[in-house]
Amino acid sequence: MSTRVTLAVASFVVLIVHGIVFYDQFFNRWEKHQTAYFEQARSLAKTDAERRALDQRSPRIEQIIVTQFGESRVDRCTTCHVASDDPRFQNHAQPLRTHPYSAALGDVQVNGRWERRHKFTDFGCTICHDGQGRGLESFYAHGEDIFWPDPMLGYVTQASWHTEFRPKLTGKEYMQANCAQCHTEDNFAGTPLVQRGRQLFFEKACYGCHRIEGLSNGTLGPDLSDVGKKYKINYLWEHTVNPRAFQPTSFMPKFDLSDEEIKALTVFLKSRRGINFAETALGQYRARLQQVKAEGAKQETSAMPSAMRGEQLIGERSCTACHRLGEKDGHIAPDLSYEGLIRDEDWMMAHFREPKSKIPDSIMPVFGFADADFRSISAYLKTRSTPPPFKTAEEIYKGLCARCHGEKGDGKGVTYLYLDPAPRDLTKASFMNSKPEERFLQSLKNGVPGTSMPPWERVLTDEQRRTVLTYVFETFVKEPRGQLKERKVPDKNPVAFNVDSIHRGEEIFLNRCTGCHGRKADGKGPNSLDISPRPRNLRNSFFINNVPDKRLFDSILYGVQGTAMPSWIDYGLTQNDAGDLINFIRSLNSQTALPGGEKSPTLTSQANLSQTNQEVPCLNKGNDKCK
Amino acid sequence: MKTPAKPEIEEGGDAMTRRRLLSWLSGFGLLGSLIITVLSNLIFIKPRATYGQPNRFSIGKPEDFPSGARLSLDARRVCIVRDGDKIAAISTTCTHLGCIVSVSETGFACPCHGSRYDQDGNVTGGPAPRALPWYQVSLAPNGDIEVDKDTEIEAGNYLRV
Repeated sequence: MSTRVTLAVASFVVLIVHGIVFYDQFFNRWEKHQTAYFEQARSLAKTDAERRALDQRSPRIEQIIVTQFGESRVDRCTTCHVASDDPRFQNHAQPLRTHPYSAALGDVQVNGRWERRHKFTDFGCTICHDGQGRGLESFYAHGEDIFWPDPMLGYVTQASWHTEFRPKLTGKEYMQANCAQCHTEDNFAGTPLVQRGRQLFFEKACYGCHRIEGLSNGTLGPDLSDVGKKYKINYLWEHTVNPRAFQPTSFMPKFDLSDEEIKALTVFLKSRRGINFAETALGQYRARLQQVKAEGAKQETSAMPSAMRGEQLIGERSCTACHRLGEKDGHIAPDLSYEGLIRDEDWMMAHFREPKSKIPDSIMPVFGFADADFRSISAYLKTRSTPPPFKTAEEIYKGLCARCHGEKGDGKGVTYLYLDPAPRDLTKASFMNSKPEERFLQSLKNGVPGTSMPPWERVLTDEQRRTVLTYVFETFVKEPRGQLKERKVPDKNPVAFNVDSIHRGEEIFLNRCTGCHGRKADGKGPNSLDISPRPRNLRNSFFINNVPDKRLFDSILYGVQGTAMPSWIDYGLTQNDAGDLINFIRSLNSQTALPGGEKSPTLTSQANLSQTNQEVPCLNKGNDKCK
Repeated sequence: MKTPAKPEIEEGGDAMTRRRLLSWLSGFGLLGSLIITVLSNLIFIKPRATYGQPNRFSIGKPEDFPSGARLSLDARRVCIVRDGDKIAAISTTCTHLGCIVSVSETGFACPCHGSRYDQDGNVTGGPAPRALPWYQVSLAPNGDIEVDKDTEIEAGNYLRV
């Protein structure tokens, strides 16, 4: 008995499931929309012929296939939006609503009847709106699905987008990015945001790091030529607002941008989709040739270097998008207001041509300007030689030091994220009180080579530097300065600088130092990200070559207080070991040949030095002695 | 089922017993499922959309076609005929083997096997088995002429504009 009841129930369940599937598959929402349209159009029809034509229509998938703009598109939007081209439905609710007519789109009125400039049968829908043309359900068709790369621009925000930014990412002005696919003219009236974004791309010095086909040739950051194809507007917006939001290790600076400017940049970047519809690969190549030719001609005719031209160039080329110069401040890079007193022309020229040549970890991009332009800029910067008007130590600190070391002296000034090595944290008493005063005065006077700490010798007088140091100790360090412990370290490295010593040094280095300083000795070891201040880049030759042996011995054997550098004497390192290490570090930065006639070695990053293998690693693979 | 022992045999032979009712219900459910399954499979065989150019398309304003025009749109495979205020669309796909027929002085001529048609598409010679079909032409609300290749109409039915 019970099996019969079960069978009856089960068969009804099966029937219901079948019914639901059938309904789901064959009774679509769009059919209802079309039926509603036919009914309403019938009541609006004026002639019998019209009515008859409507009677013959039955719901079906309407599609527009567009082949003339890049990849062919299949737009089925008119399946639901079936009245989009029927002028009688202008006041109906979506989806049965006429697509608005607009003179701005180029639509014209002929005999009281609107005529579209962009006919749907020729252009389709997704070419302007984005979205998934093949979709027949609004969730997919409009691109609300978080995996769809092109949600309808300005209308649809996806659920995975940052809630805070979602309201800012709506508005039909975002569609300008798609207008610019065909209307590529620089001054096209319909795409003001694209023009503004392009302008900002140069004003904010984006061009220095990023390359965009036909616009700029930066190499430091990613190529943005087809960034609009790769990323949705939420990524473009957020990455511009905070470059570390998606890329925690990005060193792209956070620029001072208003919402309006970010929107313009987002639209501009969204419009970068590689080849656009108005171009062909050949046309693009020709334009490129032309640009190269024009640049060549410009270099030849560049005016004589002059300070006036330099000032103009600094404005035009947007140096102050990062640097500070008088009133203008980009809050990213060092202050150039007193540059004439800090650097000489040779330094500036070398720095312009290759910023890393003077500060090895600088993030400043290589700007490929003409030499004459660089000379003009340095000529202008040379004129910035009026000493600052500051009188008291506090004023001096706030005016000159706080930009990097921070108002609170904690090494977190506005620029600190972009300087490598980072500015010293002056509140760390353990460090500040473990170094002789003489060293701080030295750093103030001559700067720290290879870092962004400039020499203040000509900007501040001896007396001023001394008062600033006192101010720092009183305001930030606070703890009283005790007697420095006398440490037994040699003034000069007693271990002879030769290949054997360097090999021993490398072995010790690979065993003990790479965790923080990295296998390349560039200060980027696996632990480095968790350490503040970051481990020293031991390949920063300007820095290393300026540090006497005595200080290296001191740092290695007794550690650097207030940092993660431990006192290695406690871990069994002898003075001779330290001497070998110092020879190794020196050899990395040495410009001259080694005593043995070998070239200065480079750290073999693939050196397979296992802990048990006591063999000295081979530095020179070509050497016969190496196995 | 723990029903009290109650005689289930009723007086009438074809009266509804509990067992029979259940059989009927199961049968109805399964048969219904079967019908739905067969139906959906049949419907499913015919695609709802293909990637060809759409069969319903607009060809522009009536003014674009002067009176007396016989304009062949090769991409759409129709010939638009305008005669005074009358407009019609005639297929240009040969009913023999599907070549595109060309517009000639006497009507249509197929280049492949020499089929001939008159001005209205009726066969006048060659291997063509049927006359060229006429398609429904209508005036869209935005003023464009729409041709619907899915709906064939009788020859001689013009749209008046």
